Amino acid sequence: MVLCFLFMLFFYGQAQDYELLLKGGHVIDTKNNIDGPMDIGISDGKVSAVARSIPRGKAAKTIDVSGMYVTPGLIDMHTHVFMGNEPDAYIADGGTSVMPDGFTFRAGVTTVVDAGSSGWRNFPLFKAQTIDKAKTRVLALLNIVGTGMKSRFEEQDVSDMNPTMTAYAIKKQYPDILVGIKAAHYWGDFTQVDLAVEAGKKAGVPVMVDFGEHRPPNSIEALFMEHLRPGDIFTHTYSNGPDDRETIVDENGKLKPFILKAQKRGIIFDMGHGGGAFTWKQAVPATEQGFKADVVSSDLHTQSMNSGMKDLSNVISKFMALGISLTDAIDRATWAPAKVINRPDLGNLSVGSEADVAVFTMREGDFGFLDVRRKRLKGDKKLETELTLRAGKVVWDLNGIATEDFKE
Amino acid sequence: MIRFRPLIMILELFDLKITREWISLILLFFSICIQAQEIDLLIKNGHVVDVKNNKDTISDVSIANGKILQVAPYISDKNAKKVIDASGLYVVPGLIDPHTHVFVGSKPNKFADGNNSLSPDDFSFKAGVTTVVDAGTSGWRNFPLFKTQVIDESKTRILAFLNIAAYGMTGDDLQHDLNEMNVAKTSEMILNYPETIVGVKIGHFEGKVWAPFDRALEVGTLTNRPLFVECHLPEYTLKEQLDLMRPGDMITHAFENISERTPVVDDEGRVLPYVLAAEKRGVLFDVGHGGAGFWFDQGIPSVEQGFWPNSFGTDLHRFSMNGGMKDMLNLMSKFLNMGMPLKEVLARGSWYPAKAIKREDLGNLSVGSIADIAVIRVKEGSFGYIDAKNNLLKGDQKLEAELTIKDGKVVWDLNGLAAKPIK
Repeated sequence: MVLCFLFMLFFYGQAQDYELLLKGGHVIDTKNNIDGPMDIGISDGKVSAVARSIPRGKAAKTIDVSGMYVTPGLIDMHTHVFMGNEPDAYIADGGTSVMPDGFTFRAGVTTVVDAGSSGWRNFPLFKAQTIDKAKTRVLALLNIVGTGMKSRFEEQDVSDMNPTMTAYAIKKQYPDILVGIKAAHYWGDFTQVDLAVEAGKKAGVPVMVDFGEHRPPNSIEALFMEHLRPGDIFTHTYSNGPDDRETIVDENGKLKPFILKAQKRGIIFDMGHGGGAFTWKQAVPATEQGFKADVVSSDLHTQSMNSGMKDLSNVISKFMALGISLTDAIDRATWAPAKVINRPDLGNLSVGSEADVAVFTMREGDFGFLDVRRKRLKGDKKLETELTLRAGKVVWDLNGIATEDFKE
Repeated sequence: MIRFRPLIMILELFDLKITREWISLILLFFSICIQAQEIDLLIKNGHVVDVKNNKDTISDVSIANGKILQVAPYISDKNAKKVIDASGLYVVPGLIDPHTHVFVGSKPNKFADGNNSLSPDDFSFKAGVTTVVDAGTSGWRNFPLFKTQVIDESKTRILAFLNIAAYGMTGDDLQHDLNEMNVAKTSEMILNYPETIVGVKIGHFEGKVWAPFDRALEVGTLTNRPLFVECHLPEYTLKEQLDLMRPGDMITHAFENISERTPVVDDEGRVLPYVLAAEKRGVLFDVGHGGAGFWFDQGIPSVEQGFWPNSFGTDLHRFSMNGGMKDMLNLMSKFLNMGMPLKEVLARGSWYPAKAIKREDLGNLSVGSIADIAVIRVKEGSFGYIDAKNNLLKGDQKLEAELTIKDGKVVWDLNGLAAKPIK
């Protein structure tokens, strides 16, 4: 009995405050205004301490991250991950979507938002097939079209754009997963956007608009000032296909005057890089004239994954090659999107929040960043993902910093 | 003169006098034709390692119509539509990963037609890989579905070993159904797709009877193709398996150390004599890294003792992609840092697996062959490599794919080597 008591006392004396300690890193957590050296203690899958110095002895396991940047797990606000085998489908349950886990953790991403691959009719399949099976946290914007992005033709079917059913699915059925609405690829007037906004009002969520494929293009000024609400999202910000999508920078290289006004009004500009939607021709002059996309995102799918996009860490590095600071770029892939999708529990390292964490090395050297026109902008810095934690667990470890040395 | 016999015959036909001058003139004409042929892509100043052709030197490589046009110390860029400067980089045949699971589908937690398999394009090109071999995820019953659903829809070249189990890797009782392990049907399916199916596979059989192994071997003999042994066969000893294997047959998970199989290294750290004997006899050992298939306690002593794998199968699937495996170049880098010379590593990344699967049209840069090329950087720095036991090996080199070319087209360009600078 006494022995048992002593043993327990000994055990308690040894008990550590944290399961995991990330020690010596430079933390960037814009929600909490942290941009400097900090240690992070993690227990039970949650951030349990953020402090200037936490002694090694307080943690069961310590990972030395000195010389590295520690950020909240990245949020990729624009992806297509409803991968499947439906023969006639392209993005909804189709082969143009990808499975998320092969792209996320190796790029420091812990949360993806699927941007309207599914609608209310096929979201249950998407959930069962992908969301429930993925290790990545998968959230989604529900397409205003009931069948989501099944084919370009079904996406034109106004009779299947149902604000009531869409809002019902978001507000009542899947409020933890569905964070907004998507309107995309519509060839007509403002009907689709207006129906999406109607659904957005009913459900109390933002609408993301991909405003391409109108010939001639519809006015984006009217979109920003008359049709969308503050907090709604315009994606493919730096796209340059003026025949069917109005650009933010005109043919003389001038940022259109209403763009900054729209941003001030609260319209959110999302990068949505993709396979065809990021050009230096738009991004360079826009940046020079004081405009930056609010959110940095990938538009991940099979047509973008091996192109200039590659992964979100590459897209952030590319944003930095435009002259944007690391802290600012990280903000636009963590706390900024968390706010846009009304998920303030994500994108930060506040004590008590789920321990989704990314650790990056800043590589220095000669790098090139490609746009969708195969034009290259050079840069001398590139983020590389050393370590990714999802709910406190190591899900990516590039160089084994969380492992033990091998002894023969 | 004999070499020019047809030429001479043509000239004779027109009653032209054959002279040395005539032949020289004609040869000159042909050489001008070659010179003048338009080059789609010219890779200059790279260090070419092409083991088949015994090349290990700085060379230019030109590509036209998706094929290798010329490999030479100097090729003029005069007729080149696009020129890539590969100074400081290695130019090698597109890598071949002989062990993957890519029969991706929507069945939960399944390899065959399921989400344990992966889409090859998501992982191949960024690691310099242009050809993957699916290791028996499908069998004769569902190979046609695999073909239409994945193989025909992918940009990566996908070849396959056909499982002796009729439905491939279902992970359930179907895998053990002897009645469905049909030699005739399996052979017929292989011969119906002679360009795609490169061999037959046995693996994941937990029974005691040898019928599955014997039948797989019989299929191999009937179709003149290698047997791929995935040695998760707990009731068969390693020695028994190796003794039955023919020269040219492949065994994977060479450096695995788990209870259901015999490891290749004994308790004293020596590679087992019968393993070395099998290797000497021509049995080919593949890494098959996977999630649990590579251990430093096996790999490091093996490399030290000169027992080197013939190929770097990654065993790509959902449970290996984010672990110690990561991608094929990471696996090759691991062996580079274990002490294998770079040239030997590169040989085992393309030409050796091409020979193993009897696809000698691949894995080389011979003139006229398919222009599958990887342009690789050897990064210097401080790197770490992890095994299945989460052990760390530190290293100072790492391979990175700068550029991948498949059928003459750029399919991966890490830093815009093939792109134009913006003004």
